[in-house]
Amino acid sequence: MKRNLSWREVALVLLGLGVVLYPFLGGRNNPYMLHLFTLFFIWAIVASNWNLLMGYAGISSLGNIGFLAIGGYVSGILSKTFGLSPWVTIPIGGATASVAVTLLLGLPALRLKGIYIALLTLIFADSLPSVLTQTRGVTGGAMGLHDIPPFFPGAQKIHTYYLCLAAFLLIEFILYRVVRSRTGLAFVALRDAEAFATSLGVSFYRERLKVFALSSFLTGIAGGFYVHTLGDISPTTLGIEPFLLAIAMIELGGVGTFFGPILGSAIIVFGNEFLRVADILRLTLLGAIICTIILFFPGGLMQLLDRAEAWVRGRMRRRPEPA
Amino acid sequence: MDRFLNALASGVISGSLYAIMALGLSIIYGVSRVFNFAHGVVALIGGYLTWMFLTRLGLGLFPSMVLALLILFLAGWLLYHATIRGLLRKPNWEFSTVLFLLGLGILLENVLLQVFGPRVKAIPPFVPFDPTTGLGTLRVGPVITTWHDVLLVLVVVAAVLGLNAFLKWSWTGQAMRAVAASIPGALAVGIDIQRVFALTFALAFLTTGFSGVLLGTKYYMTPHVGWEWMVKGFVIVTFGGLGSTTGAIYAAAILGIVEGLVSLYLAPIWVWPIWFGIFLIVLLLRPQGIAGGRL
Repeated sequence: MKRNLSWREVALVLLGLGVVLYPFLGGRNNPYMLHLFTLFFIWAIVASNWNLLMGYAGISSLGNIGFLAIGGYVSGILSKTFGLSPWVTIPIGGATASVAVTLLLGLPALRLKGIYIALLTLIFADSLPSVLTQTRGVTGGAMGLHDIPPFFPGAQKIHTYYLCLAAFLLIEFILYRVVRSRTGLAFVALRDAEAFATSLGVSFYRERLKVFALSSFLTGIAGGFYVHTLGDISPTTLGIEPFLLAIAMIELGGVGTFFGPILGSAIIVFGNEFLRVADILRLTLLGAIICTIILFFPGGLMQLLDRAEAWVRGRMRRRPEPA
Repeated sequence: MDRFLNALASGVISGSLYAIMALGLSIIYGVSRVFNFAHGVVALIGGYLTWMFLTRLGLGLFPSMVLALLILFLAGWLLYHATIRGLLRKPNWEFSTVLFLLGLGILLENVLLQVFGPRVKAIPPFVPFDPTTGLGTLRVGPVITTWHDVLLVLVVVAAVLGLNAFLKWSWTGQAMRAVAASIPGALAVGIDIQRVFALTFALAFLTTGFSGVLLGTKYYMTPHVGWEWMVKGFVIVTFGGLGSTTGAIYAAAILGIVEGLVSLYLAPIWVWPIWFGIFLIVLLLRPQGIAGGRL
């Protein structure tokens, strides 16, 4: 079947090519930009998975940074203390995050709704720093875990860049397939009309556990990539700033849209770095951004893009054909 | 035994502070179903404004507090009409308001940081005390406490009773309870829902600011401590049953005593894990909380 490519597909392919080729277009000599791109890949995974829970499944989770921390800590400790290869420890970290989250949050969340899930997940993530302090012999407590080995001995920025890019593309591909599958449809159906969906045979319990397990597994994997890229992790990762950054990414891009959180993470990651000069005003600004978007642009940038496109199309259609 | 009684007493004192702190959350949730994620910073603003009027304008403690609470009352009313009112019309209002208030809380917390700086502030106690000289301290049997703590508990009890009387007997309080029970029912008898919601926010902000003043006299204030107060408040209102004021008071008393005993027999660092354990058990077994009633 032959059809015309929409401008969005063209833009996507061009952007993708740009990111893949960036190190050869001068990025190789700019380790700072390579680092920012790497951070963007990792945060985009986190934001997309958060959006899977919050946007597609309508589960008001506030604890996804906790998933990231579990995956990161497990992978960091295993590779540092036991000298295992990160290729083994990253999946173990993801699996640990998935099991812990499904048991501690997924199961209770079966009986809870709305605000209760928000409270449960928030307090879960908020308790992790005190767990880390209790286990400071292994986790380093408030000091954090340092000198975590890179992906392979002697890995350079450009290797990390491509590894994180690969993880980003793979996970986004998985999420895209999930969202387009029957499972993704079930998530949305349960969000929008739970009674109707269950009456059609969608299992509330199975789909709920599935979305928690999947989202926390992939976020845990992102946590693994995070620690092996940065080399350290500490309880500040569970602090207010990363949490707000991720929320702002999802809201800015557009909740419940596939590309929204990715776009949002790009803007927030690069914007946040350029705002380093503003120092403590950054958090004020982030809070203001979140408030403004929710009040005035609840659909985020993706909705603005849709509206702009509709407006342009409307203009083009109305214009009379040149004689 | 002496240590046990002292731990119990300190548990009662912190429990009563937690109770007044959690009430504001409970009132808003009970009436409007909005969960105030900016709760901690509202309490802090109450404390900081009082501190500012007290030290910068040289007003007495009581006038400073009244002025601060008046400002918060107006702020709550304005915030409702300017923002929450519009958000409540959206289909996903529940999570929108959560994220909005969360963003607002962080915004205000950092404004406090800019204005007052990161250093610790404290509001002077009602009755000055000094444990080394025994000034302002009080001995009841084996329990050693201060007049300030006794006054705190009395003030909290008076405030809670006053609030309950207001909710029970005043016209506005009855309207709030009617809205909490059923919005269509309240509409049918001609209650102006928007007015009640706005007054609820105003009243809850006032109560929360008041609790911030009390917390500021007992503990200390930094722009970040509001988050800690708020998360404690979350556990309390969930334990007591969201939207139930009596439940919140019982829960605060129980958790305050748990805190006192855990600090005595284990270590203060275990307080939070044990609170979290209680929180999880309550959510699993009885999500409607111990009281599970309405406002």
